[in-house]
Amino acid sequence: MKRKSLGASLRYVPYVFVLPFLISFAVFYVYPIAASVVMSFQNVVPGRTAFIGLDNYRRIVDQDFFDALRVSFTYTAVTILILIPGPLVLAAMLNVGRRRTNTVFRALYFLPSLVSVVVAGTIFRLIFATSARGMANTILSWLKIPAVDWIMGGSLTAMSLMVAVAVWRWTGVNVVYFMSGLQSIPEELYEAAEIDGAGPLRKFFALTVPLLKPTVIFVTTISVFGGFAMFEESYIFWRGLSPNNVGLTLVGLLFKRGFQQGELGLGSAVGIVLIAVVFAVSMAQLKLFGFFKQEEKE
Amino acid sequence: MKKILALMVALSAISVAALSAQAKTILTLWTFNELHAQYYQESAAAWNKANPSRQINLKAEVFPYDDMHNKLLIALQSGSGAPDIADVEISKFPNYLKGDIQLVPLDDLLNPIRKQFVQARLDIYGKDGKTYGMCFHVGAAVMYYNMDIMKAAGVDVEKIDTWDDYVKAGLQVKAKTGKPMATIETTDQWSYWPLISQQKSDYTDKNGNVTIDNEINVKTLQFLNDMIYKQKIAVPAPGGFHHAEEYYGFMNDGGAGSIWMPMWYMGRFTDYMADLKGKIAIRPMPRWTKGGNRSAGMGGTGTVVTKQSKAIDLAKQFTVYAKGSKEGNIAIWKLLGFDPIRWDVWSDPAMNEPNKFTQFFQNKNIFQTLLQVKDEIVPVNVNERMVRVIDQIRQKTFVQVLQENSKGAAQALKEAAVEAKK
Amino acid sequence: MRRKVSAGLADAIKYALLAALVVFFLLPIFSLLMASFKSGKELMRYGISFKGMIPPRFDPKNFVYLVTGKDGIYLSWFRNSVIVLAAQTVLSLGLSSFVGYGLGVYRFKGRNAITVMVLLVMMVPLQILLLPLYAMIVNFKLMNTYQGVILPFMVSPFAIFFFRQFASGIPKDYLDAGRIEGLGEFNIFLFICAPLMAPAFGAMAILMAQQSWNNFLWPLIVMTTGEMFTLPIGLASLLTPYGNNYDMLIAGSCAASVPIIIVFVFFQRYFISGMNAGGIKG
Repeated sequence: MKRKSLGASLRYVPYVFVLPFLISFAVFYVYPIAASVVMSFQNVVPGRTAFIGLDNYRRIVDQDFFDALRVSFTYTAVTILILIPGPLVLAAMLNVGRRRTNTVFRALYFLPSLVSVVVAGTIFRLIFATSARGMANTILSWLKIPAVDWIMGGSLTAMSLMVAVAVWRWTGVNVVYFMSGLQSIPEELYEAAEIDGAGPLRKFFALTVPLLKPTVIFVTTISVFGGFAMFEESYIFWRGLSPNNVGLTLVGLLFKRGFQQGELGLGSAVGIVLIAVVFAVSMAQLKLFGFFKQEEKE
Repeated sequence: MKKILALMVALSAISVAALSAQAKTILTLWTFNELHAQYYQESAAAWNKANPSRQINLKAEVFPYDDMHNKLLIALQSGSGAPDIADVEISKFPNYLKGDIQLVPLDDLLNPIRKQFVQARLDIYGKDGKTYGMCFHVGAAVMYYNMDIMKAAGVDVEKIDTWDDYVKAGLQVKAKTGKPMATIETTDQWSYWPLISQQKSDYTDKNGNVTIDNEINVKTLQFLNDMIYKQKIAVPAPGGFHHAEEYYGFMNDGGAGSIWMPMWYMGRFTDYMADLKGKIAIRPMPRWTKGGNRSAGMGGTGTVVTKQSKAIDLAKQFTVYAKGSKEGNIAIWKLLGFDPIRWDVWSDPAMNEPNKFTQFFQNKNIFQTLLQVKDEIVPVNVNERMVRVIDQIRQKTFVQVLQENSKGAAQALKEAAVEAKK
Repeated sequence: MRRKVSAGLADAIKYALLAALVVFFLLPIFSLLMASFKSGKELMRYGISFKGMIPPRFDPKNFVYLVTGKDGIYLSWFRNSVIVLAAQTVLSLGLSSFVGYGLGVYRFKGRNAITVMVLLVMMVPLQILLLPLYAMIVNFKLMNTYQGVILPFMVSPFAIFFFRQFASGIPKDYLDAGRIEGLGEFNIFLFICAPLMAPAFGAMAILMAQQSWNNFLWPLIVMTTGEMFTLPIGLASLLTPYGNNYDMLIAGSCAASVPIIIVFVFFQRYFISGMNAGGIKG
């Protein structure tokens, strides 16, 4: 008797769980996304909005576009390479040992993400000032390296700047993610491994890393989204007009075309292209991780 | 008891009615600068005194710069949510002149008093013969000399008339003090635009065609490049532009002998370069030829009235009052330190009363200097292509030619022109 | 014996490393804190360098200005941010965990499709949705309201994704145990699994709070009067191309960090509980 009703209810139950999302999606997302797609095929001006076919898409493909693609891809790749292994190791280190000290460290690493972007920008601009007196260059001089013109110095320094701000801001956040993932790994497994004679490194690579897979997938995916959607870290330094486009990202291009130039149709076209790119990259990444296989649970 | 109560109710009803008869019309105003908002509030108070039967309750909102413009664009495009009045910065202005223009022309109120304004500053906010915005200032480009450095080098700034004179002085400054005569912006346009405007050239022509790569413009860019790399009397501005936090520290420490910027830059000196108090003199800029223009009208914030306003006439009148009346213009100087657009107030003694600016700069009468150049200002052409050109030169051209010295002026400007035409 | 010594050494190295990192993270914040005790004009005059870092006098006047200046508008911004934060965090945690759990635990038709939809929503940059979303807000009469800011993002795809990941790691045994006890699926969620997901709730509470606190673009579109601004917008309005109000900006930014730090400290404890407390017994 109980079995039957359980089987029947089990079928509709998942749909009830996902209902809030479906409703919210239908009400708040379907229309705007559809409208943006439509706008990407229009010339949007007050009173005289008109369809112009693929013109917007044709017009956005220029030097700026390729610069933006290059910057976005590079930035995403570099930040993922730093912001996944780094915080992972940190989280592992903070998961064992003196509790109180660890808590303090965790809080301190998290602090940067709380500072408003506007102010972080002012501070970073001043720290990375060109003059030898600026803090970054002072530190370089201790290492006997000559002063660098960070802001105007070209694509290498520009990328370093944006990555530096990103690492500063988001390390603590990723540590939080990984820590919560780590907390779900039962102590008993570690104890069993120790009994088997495994040292800290072995435990880390054979136990921690594989069991953190869902969390790693999560962090990687949102890092891909975040990387391509990056806007603030660049705006901080160049307010949208970076020398030779060293700081131009896809979203930056969207802003430029859509708002600075006042052509909302063009901006929408850039946005649609951006979505397509991100979709392709993240689907590839997720497939690579085996995300879509219905995993068996141990 | 009941009678007294009834009387009280009646009295309060009458007074409420009376008060609402005097009710102020609410006008919403969007701006991106707190100082502007303060100014508008003072204007509203003055207006209310002068117009007791048509009082205004002004609600001025201050948004972040870029974002206010974006919000306004969206509101005007979607047809709702726009304020009655808004400040629009000149480099964004063309965006609001597309399609069916959602702004209200101000000409009917301006025409009677048109002659009192520096014409150039009205034309820049116009399209097809209609004027849509009122400016805060002339933005006259002038030269700020650090007189300590000038004295140390033995340079008499009164004798500097042409750019050739200026370069010679620069060489002298370099020889005697080792300091650069000037800093040149590489991510902004205030070192370049006034120079081409002096020669009656521009980024675009009257019809909106791109002219950034014409001969005068190329020659001028080369001139700046020479200053940095050939004569070595100038350096790229630290931080890239003259509003960089880094620049203030540099200049404050006596980093350069002079800087040419519009009049509205005075406030930066008083606010961020306090050590230069009493050391800076404001002079007309050098000119290219004897008898040539010494100045240009740079920057600007046009105040506009939107079609979505429910009180268009009142909003128009207030806007023209705030920006175009004599009292308003004097207040613009006193409060904001801007050079107001009505030249007939420049000789008013009120303009020379002591304020933080007169106390900072060496000039005995700042507006005397300004009156000298008032007729030497040519309007710039404001249109969509201008926006594209500015984009290109700020992002690529200046960097390549002035910062990196990696491309020739002619080549870089030609490329900018090609991109701007797309 | 040897083990203890090498363990002690390893510990020392570990904490030395962690401490060195702290310097990197805290240096800008420390500069910020020091700068808030100077006047903004001083900061611009001399910039940020090691020499001038510690102000000769700790002048709290900037902080006083926060409360008294400009008709207390900073306090309004603060209040608005707190209200939005509380509402968004609570709503989002509840709804998103609900959805994420469903996606993570059950195998059903459309599971992958809906997951992709969730991801898709995350991929769309808000910037291209500005115009249509604005039109919607106007139509629903939600302009310049808290609801306008909170409602469209009530269900956070990002939190859904996170809870999904977390929930997919819950061993089936727990669910079966619950079913054997006769609990309905929703009760299993509430009484068995939610406690197990405590670390996830803790993490998401902190991160939703951080996102909400720093959220800029959407509140900017919805709010049209200065008193309804949230802190990021208000602080940004202090920087203009023609003159900046560094005093309020820097002190204001320091003060703005405080509530979130409190949230962080409070929710940190949930990291410690979780699976370790439960454990699989028998």
